[in-house]
Amino acid sequence: MTDPTPQRPSPLNRRQFFAVGGSLAAAGVLAACGSDTGRTAASSPGAAASTGSTSTATGSSSAAVSASSVSGGPSSSAGGAKPTLQQWYHQYGEEGTKAAVEKYAAAYPDATVKVGWFPGDYDSKLASALLTADAPDVFEAGNGPSIDAIQGGLVEPLDDLLGDAKSDFNQALISRMSYQDKLYAIPQVIDMQLLVYRKSLLDAAGVKPPTTFDELAAAAKALTDGDQKGLFVGNDGGVGILTGPTLWSVGADYLTDDDKVGFTDPSVATAFGKLHELFASDSLLLGAPSDWFSADAINTGLTAMQFTGLWTFPDLIKELGDDFGVLPWPKFSADGAGAPSVPIGAFGSAVSAKGKNVDAAKAFVKYLWVDNAADQVDFAQSYGFHFPARESLADQATKLKEGTAAEAVKILQEYSHAQSPLLWTPASATALSDAVTKIIKNGADPASTLAGVVSKVKAELKRVVK
Amino acid sequence: MSAPTVVAPRPARRGTLKQRLLGPQNRNLWFWVFVGPFLVGLAIFVYVPILWSLYLSFFDARNTVTPTDFVGFDNYTFMLTDPAFLSSMGTFLVFAIFIVPVTFAFGLGLALAVNRTRWFQAFFRSAFFLPAACSYVVAALIWKMSIFNGFRSGVANGLLGVFDIDSVKWLSITTPPWYWLVLVTLRLWLQVGFYMILFLAGLQRIPPILYEAASIDGAKPGWQTFRYITFPQLRATSVAVLVLLLINAFQAFDEFYNILSNFGTYPPYARPPLVYLYYVALGSQQDLGRGSAGAIILAILIGLITVLQARFTREKRS
Amino acid sequence: MSTPVHGAESQAFTSAAPTVARRTGIQRPPIERLGVAVRTVFLVVGALLFLMPFYLLIRNALANRREIVGLKFTWWPGELQWTNFAEAFSSTNDVPMGRAMVNSVIVSVTQTVLTVVLAAMAGYGLARIPFRYSKLISGTVLATLLIPSAVTFVPTFVMVSSLGWVSSLRGLIIPGLFSALAVFLFRQQFSDFPKDLEEAGRIDGLGWFGVFWRVVVPNTGAFFAAVGAITFLGSWNSFLWPLVIGQDPSSWTIQVALSAFTTSQTVDYSQLFAAAVIAVLPVLVLFLALQRFIRQGYESTGSTG
Repeated sequence: MTDPTPQRPSPLNRRQFFAVGGSLAAAGVLAACGSDTGRTAASSPGAAASTGSTSTATGSSSAAVSASSVSGGPSSSAGGAKPTLQQWYHQYGEEGTKAAVEKYAAAYPDATVKVGWFPGDYDSKLASALLTADAPDVFEAGNGPSIDAIQGGLVEPLDDLLGDAKSDFNQALISRMSYQDKLYAIPQVIDMQLLVYRKSLLDAAGVKPPTTFDELAAAAKALTDGDQKGLFVGNDGGVGILTGPTLWSVGADYLTDDDKVGFTDPSVATAFGKLHELFASDSLLLGAPSDWFSADAINTGLTAMQFTGLWTFPDLIKELGDDFGVLPWPKFSADGAGAPSVPIGAFGSAVSAKGKNVDAAKAFVKYLWVDNAADQVDFAQSYGFHFPARESLADQATKLKEGTAAEAVKILQEYSHAQSPLLWTPASATALSDAVTKIIKNGADPASTLAGVVSKVKAELKRVVK
Repeated sequence: MSAPTVVAPRPARRGTLKQRLLGPQNRNLWFWVFVGPFLVGLAIFVYVPILWSLYLSFFDARNTVTPTDFVGFDNYTFMLTDPAFLSSMGTFLVFAIFIVPVTFAFGLGLALAVNRTRWFQAFFRSAFFLPAACSYVVAALIWKMSIFNGFRSGVANGLLGVFDIDSVKWLSITTPPWYWLVLVTLRLWLQVGFYMILFLAGLQRIPPILYEAASIDGAKPGWQTFRYITFPQLRATSVAVLVLLLINAFQAFDEFYNILSNFGTYPPYARPPLVYLYYVALGSQQDLGRGSAGAIILAILIGLITVLQARFTREKRS
Repeated sequence: MSTPVHGAESQAFTSAAPTVARRTGIQRPPIERLGVAVRTVFLVVGALLFLMPFYLLIRNALANRREIVGLKFTWWPGELQWTNFAEAFSSTNDVPMGRAMVNSVIVSVTQTVLTVVLAAMAGYGLARIPFRYSKLISGTVLATLLIPSAVTFVPTFVMVSSLGWVSSLRGLIIPGLFSALAVFLFRQQFSDFPKDLEEAGRIDGLGWFGVFWRVVVPNTGAFFAAVGAITFLGSWNSFLWPLVIGQDPSSWTIQVALSAFTTSQTVDYSQLFAAAVIAVLPVLVLFLALQRFIRQGYESTGSTG
């Protein structure tokens, strides 16, 4: 995700890994922020919940984890003095995810691991907690710890955990989670966001899958019919998830490769101005009961197209069968400088430097996210769909090899873009997100509003570039 | 409250033999026994934090509470020139301009109506007062999901549907700024009953003889008596109500946060000062230096308002 | 600063222009009858509006998702979903509602008892025990009234996190115990207390504490109830401080848990409202039961300005 929004998860895709590392290279920047504002994607929300009183199960396939482990604490081991570790996750919405991570924790023989599961605003809670003596020993952070946490010495370097596996991890993610050649988080799974559409509705309306922004806006208009809107990009009108894709669609970015402000080109203002037109056009779904990260809106017929995450695929497949297709966020115009894109990011598992059992925490991270291939594959495909962070596991993630999921993986390989760079701080993200909100919702003048962000971003860069 | 009446009260005199024997030392001891525990707590949890915050506000304190990088008044100049902070003050002003007079008028109107009604008075009083027991969090849920949701299942859009008017996305759009309607009605519902109670108490204190005298003088019941007797007699209550309203508006946080925040972000509109500080200091920015500077600025402002008001009422009272 | 009015219930509420004719209800001029009609309509409509949110709360707690956020308005659920309550508090829920409820009870009860005890003692000491620096101390306490506690959440958080009390019951309870306002209300109350009663106690051989405990407290019980009830309400409904300090879900209060529920990725509206009903109902019952004390307490608060 992009943007500033924090908590949103963004997904990344499995992409790549398959191979091509290259494309990711670009991504070096992957994702962003952990605590920052922009949460990366990770979260997958989802599925669950939805409907009424009974809970809804989501599609996940797996039979997963028996519920027995729920909430239980760690398995009791007979052992004597094992260290106790606190491990934090943000809330993944797919049913069964919480039970799964508790199961992984309980199975760890060398320590008692207690899982904290955080619905709501995870980034703020994490940022506050890292300052205190009560910081979790092990925690996940969207795209790794924030630059402030790294520079402040709040997190441990983890290079020594990878061993021979280092080259097996997605290199783009490894570099995104590194600072000055030290790695501060182990990527867990890759998440990706993409545009999903109902094939049957597009066919009925005679609309082709859009390849430019104008085509997308026209398609959204054509598909709007009474309670069904054409497109859903979040209840905030896209502020949270479209900032990155919009920048890339005109060939701009948050920051340039040499750490300068990357969105000063006039084309950026034009593109954001168009988002305001879209917002005002009545073809966007707003105020939906579940936000963009859940497949509810498209599943219940509130929208014909939706920007969401790969993690929702189990739910989409369950409700829509094969009546849905996938697209990247289109480039802005056919002859422009930009490219279609899908944001990717990953939650990385990090270790607090202030914990009482740093070594035990590192050992646990190594066990779960480096050595334990079976659990990594389970985590990647049994609940929501994610892409394994290790390339050698891609083949084992069989569910991503069939149907629409396979198409999504193709898009990922071709168009993936890291969510946001490490030096894109929460303060920068907030400033840009405020500006984008004003442009999209209030119709503020795009050029002057964006110009106001530049000085703030420069101040932040001056602070963190060392 | 129920102070038992005592027959033939004797004037209390400090100088009984017993007391003199107690001597100042003992008195001092007992004074500390009674007041000490509270004072110690007040010092630790009110004075120390404020001083610490003052200290932090002169440092670049990001992600730390023991900073070393002294920056003088930079945090203050930053906050006072920060468009977002200034706009949060603007938000407070707009909000206060709405909520203060409207709550005042409704609270007084209800108090007058309830005070004069002869049927079911206790029922009406309870019905209007009951929301005061509800929390802002729960009220925000009801408002966001059930009254002002974007679909026909929401009360507001359901009502519009009766007249065949299109559904409005109350909280998603900013032009027109319907979100103010949501925020203001919520706070009205929650606090009008409380202010009604204060006005009712004020009305009870007006001596009936004033009204009798007025009617003998030919004042008509209704507007005239209200204008020349009721309202002036309520002056002390009115001033207290205004100050409480203003200070409560300054501290607005709960309903804004619960209605407008979204996974750790908050839009740049309708962002009151406390919400902004919360995100600066304790959100993902963890900028405690600037957050503290902002808190000190707010505290000074509120203190000034309170002092000015005290002056103002004292003059009035004399 | 006036003391709270009492016996409000018992006094006939008449304030405005009591004319004999009105009381007996004979022959009112038409204009006045119109006024009565307008006022009655205003009150009835207002009361219905004010009670409507409570009806929505209960309806939603028993409805299914579609009835809450669907495409049409429903007056009453087609089928009452009593299971919403059990599900909201089930242990598999991502939001630990049961635990939050327990935390709220512990925090509110403890805060109420301790706040009242501390404030009553301090109020009595300041009101009745002669001490050279009493004025100065009153001033330092009074000064904190100028700055509402909500404004100091940043520094208080800094303090409490340094003590290592984040995500703990201590951190939730202790910083809120020192209410200068409560001290002032008590001080005022005790200043108005008849001195000869205390003298009598003293002649019977009671010391400072004995007089306070055996004479003053029993005779001002209603005021204790008022301050206690208001403290409890404030504590139960507070949100900002528990949100700041309760970082770990195991330390959330019910208000924070409800708030987190709304941004949960698996938000289940029916369960959310069922939990909200459980969070509000006990307080409403308590509120109605203690309404008279609460009103009197508020009135004295209001008169301190």
